[in-house]
Amino acid sequence: MKKINLRPMLKPASVAIIGASRDPEKVGHVILQNYLNAGYSGKLYAVNKNAGAEISGIKVFGSVLEIKQEIDLAVIAIPAQFVPEAMEECGKAGVKTAIVVSGGFAETGNKELQDRLVKVAEKYNMPTLGPNCLGVMDPRSRIDTLFLPTYKLSRPSVGGVSFVCQSGAVGSTVLDLISGEGFGLSKFISYGNAANVDEVDILNYLMDDEETKVIIMYVEGIKRGKEFIEIAKKITKVKPVVVLKAGRTPAGIAAAHSHTAALAGDYETHESIFRQFGFTVAEDINDLLNYAKIFSSESLPTGNKVAVITNGGGVGVLTADEISMSGCLEMSKFTKRSCDALRKIMPALVNIRNPLDLAGDADGERYSDALSVLSTDDNIDIFVIITLFQTPGADSRAAASLISFKEKTDKPMIDISIGAEYTRMHRIMMESSGLPVYDSPLAAISSLSALLKYSIYKNRK
Amino acid sequence: MPELLDYFEGNRLLKRYGISCIDSQYVSSAEEAIAFSKRGPIALKLISSKAIHKTKSGLVKLNLTGSEIKAAYSELARKGNALKPYKIIAQKMAKPGIEIIVGGKTDPQFGKLILIGLGGIYVEVFKDFALRVCPITKNDTIDMIEQLKSRKIVTFSGKDTDMIAGVLLKVSKLLIENQEISELDLNPLIIRAGSYEAVDIRIFK
Repeated sequence: MKKINLRPMLKPASVAIIGASRDPEKVGHVILQNYLNAGYSGKLYAVNKNAGAEISGIKVFGSVLEIKQEIDLAVIAIPAQFVPEAMEECGKAGVKTAIVVSGGFAETGNKELQDRLVKVAEKYNMPTLGPNCLGVMDPRSRIDTLFLPTYKLSRPSVGGVSFVCQSGAVGSTVLDLISGEGFGLSKFISYGNAANVDEVDILNYLMDDEETKVIIMYVEGIKRGKEFIEIAKKITKVKPVVVLKAGRTPAGIAAAHSHTAALAGDYETHESIFRQFGFTVAEDINDLLNYAKIFSSESLPTGNKVAVITNGGGVGVLTADEISMSGCLEMSKFTKRSCDALRKIMPALVNIRNPLDLAGDADGERYSDALSVLSTDDNIDIFVIITLFQTPGADSRAAASLISFKEKTDKPMIDISIGAEYTRMHRIMMESSGLPVYDSPLAAISSLSALLKYSIYKNRK
Repeated sequence: MPELLDYFEGNRLLKRYGISCIDSQYVSSAEEAIAFSKRGPIALKLISSKAIHKTKSGLVKLNLTGSEIKAAYSELARKGNALKPYKIIAQKMAKPGIEIIVGGKTDPQFGKLILIGLGGIYVEVFKDFALRVCPITKNDTIDMIEQLKSRKIVTFSGKDTDMIAGVLLKVSKLLIENQEISELDLNPLIIRAGSYEAVDIRIFK
């Protein structure tokens, strides 16, 4: 399989923005402004046939051919009919990669124009993303080709999760949500119509990208099935991939002759292939974020036995229910040694069993005491801690106890905290210290199941 | 338009890959059908490319002995005249067991796919099936069976799991080595006491 080098697109030393405009309403203006706001430190060139001498202090060239310097990336944001010609100029100028932000190609029925774009990209061997896409974001290299102003869409911090997205709208929504999460972003790649660079090329690049620890993706359809299978087989042995597939409509089923063909529609086929090659299938947008969170912070579990430690009986039981319904996780049976030690140090009202209910007056110290006993229990592979901050005992010291235990243990550990402002404050505190926090037993346990299933897939054979 | 493979051509293909099929033969008269029933009750089925879903169209007569065979044969022959060309097949009656479906299809993007599900008339109602792209591995077969909600019905014992896994591997091999096969249904495939038989076969080129 031919590998396409996307490095000049994501780590460019020089960028030309074609369609850069003085008019704040124009896409080309927002893109240029975002580059300036993001603090991009490479060389930046503005290109516009008629924009005058300068935009925001950046010199404007009439054509990319006039720049006469090495250009790693051209971001093209001009009306569709002018795109092939602009790309031709990029090719002649030796531009290494291009992103076509403009829409008005195959997605609106203009397949012929898109074919011309592909021909130019191939002629000059110039990997081209899009058309009809948001482009890329890389907080490390401070690349941001999004035409959405920063006041509308918050930019995520630096992290290990790369997000590959076919749809622009899903892309910007999820990015906005990622900016509120502790895990941070490695790369965002929105590839739109996938005319030249598609998901196979992108996965191929991200597989070897050391800054990417986890990949989350949204796809509508896979273009090159056989090549996709080749990369899918390899990539999940290296890093986890979470996928959300759109389109559960039963298209094509009407034409089926056998039972088999009638059952195996497009969605089922994609979902089955994702499962077969170890992808984690997300059911909705929240799953993408929940799974990204656990995959980016937790090591893979070595077993399936979970200890649940709570300061609220009811949420403990709900969590135990989710664990037993997960089909893969199990409630741990604490060793006799742990039980004896707990009985000695816990107040009489604490029932020594799993889930371990530390009671509503449990404070940071009680959490620490219980965890320190259970830390040496060989029957426990995973810790799920429930901290309900509405209770009398739970405050920032409880959060601090968990953070300090998290630093010591090698086993996967997550927290469930449900609540509004006071809880949210502690959630940020714990997450910024690398402890994933979930706001429901279902979200927590489905994420944990995803982690365990991936671990089993990765380690077998 | 896919073409339905002749029943016995399909039968031979399956046998070449070690997949067991129930004893069957074409019959062209009630007498031949009666002769075939010497070893026990039989089923009669009308085969026509104009009637794909035999059960739904009332073109399957089950558990026939003696004089029932004659009546069933003439009824099918009458219906067959409206669906020409047709053939009537006599099959040894399968002993009751767990009915599953094993199938294959061709996806334009990914190639040959293989399917397993709870079989008979239930598969379309409950949509309880697992799908993979071929060729599959032993691990894939285990995952497919595990994925079924009805896995405890389908696999009565660990031995059944191995047997079904074996069938899936054989069908996967068949699909990969016979690219011209576009769709395949073994429905039902009946499992009983540690053995199985494909009871109805539909293969499309």
